[in-house]
Amino acid sequence: MIEIRELKKSFGPQLVLDGVTLSIHEGETCVVMGRSGSGKSVILKHLIGLLHADSGSILVDDEDITGLEERELTHIRRKVGMLFQSGALFDSMSVEENLAFPLLEQGVTDKKIIDEKVAEALELVSLAGEQKKMPENLSGGMRKRVGLARTIVGRPRCVLYDEPTTGLDPIGTDSINHLIRRLQKRLAVTSVVVTHDLKTAFSTADRIAFLHEGKIYFTGTPKEMQESADPIISNFLNGISEESEL
Amino acid sequence: MLTRLGRSTLKVLDYTGSLGLLIKETFTSLRVAPIRWRLVLEQMLTIGSNSQLIVAVTGAFTGAVFTAQTCFQFRTFGMESAVGSVVTISLFRELGPALGALMVAGRVGSAIAAEIGTMKVTEQIDAMRSLGVHPVDYLVVPRALAMLISMPLLVVECVALGIIASWIVGVQILNIAEAPFIDNILKYTTERDMYISLCKGFFFGFVIVFISCLQGLNAKNGAAGVGQAPTSAVVISSIAILIFNFILTFALNIIFPMS
Repeated sequence: MIEIRELKKSFGPQLVLDGVTLSIHEGETCVVMGRSGSGKSVILKHLIGLLHADSGSILVDDEDITGLEERELTHIRRKVGMLFQSGALFDSMSVEENLAFPLLEQGVTDKKIIDEKVAEALELVSLAGEQKKMPENLSGGMRKRVGLARTIVGRPRCVLYDEPTTGLDPIGTDSINHLIRRLQKRLAVTSVVVTHDLKTAFSTADRIAFLHEGKIYFTGTPKEMQESADPIISNFLNGISEESEL
Repeated sequence: MLTRLGRSTLKVLDYTGSLGLLIKETFTSLRVAPIRWRLVLEQMLTIGSNSQLIVAVTGAFTGAVFTAQTCFQFRTFGMESAVGSVVTISLFRELGPALGALMVAGRVGSAIAAEIGTMKVTEQIDAMRSLGVHPVDYLVVPRALAMLISMPLLVVECVALGIIASWIVGVQILNIAEAPFIDNILKYTTERDMYISLCKGFFFGFVIVFISCLQGLNAKNGAAGVGQAPTSAVVISSIAILIFNFILTFALNIIFPMS
């Protein structure tokens, strides 16, 4: 469904992505792992056109989106939704209004349909009945769930998760991990999850891509990754820092 | 010294370019995207209706003080009857639009920059983009339309309150004869003065809204960046108002010359 080819991106003098190549297949959950600051979220933002590549290309359903202008990306963004690290809820709107926002913008005007879809999306993320709450009254985990509900309410075919469990306690993390799996099963969405959390990666991934020094260093199943004898992979999995960092 | 001058020039050019692109994108949005009239009305309430008090107070006290000072000076020549017309023309042509705009820049410009800036650093604008909504369509266009409609009306209010205050101070407190005071206002104030006032109000509204939106959209570096955005919006808008007021005074005097 998504094809990344030789993607390069620099911020000023800092080269973050140095020729990333990765395919994401329809219906799979692909986890992109790597150390903090390795450029995982940068990849994700390219997939939805929030950042523009220096070179390389990104194909969504065989359509190259790299050269598209902001207004030309609308149809791509209806297909590919994104959950932001903080949830990125509109803080002046209630939960209900946050969820209704993408529907209204897609031209749905029937209040009954909007209410039904909002209730259904909230039920999917186990937050049924929380329509009237304001974002400021939600916990970190609830904000992410509402953010996810807002992402899926318009039924995208692919959902991008940017560090979905960062800042959550272990139980919150586990419930988000279950939610990612549940959504994939119930909605048959393609998922790309960016995380450095091993538990999230191993419990949600069909396939893991490991980003190292601006390139995809490894791709394989969670089992293949756990069994890898590569020192960079095993150091990452075991949390062993390199000598130069001590 | 030369390097610093060059750097500053480049910064100004860069900023002007960004402002130009935002204005261009706003016009594109007006052409290709639907106007969200509900948001325009909400913004008219925030920008226009809620700014009335501050603009009215500004106009009233400017008119009052200007009348008193003019009267003290003119009285020495026995020209008190001209006070009303001098104050009225000044309020229409300069004081109403410029001072009203400066107050709106402080109250509304800072609020626009802070709100959009907060949305920027908390990824709400990226979230909006990811949902297929152009931030200019949703955030800038409604504010721009509301400002362009509200600002001339606020200027009218500012000038009107200034004239009323001028009458109170001149006629009721400083005992200028009412008939020549009013006669001279009606004789020397023309519709051209009103056009100038409205044109300046419209243009200053344009300046305030685009500078404030740009400062908000350019906010970065977390809370510090959000704190910086409204301050810069007010400072840049105020300087732009003062400079453009000078330019507009000459330009509008050619279009609407004094009789």
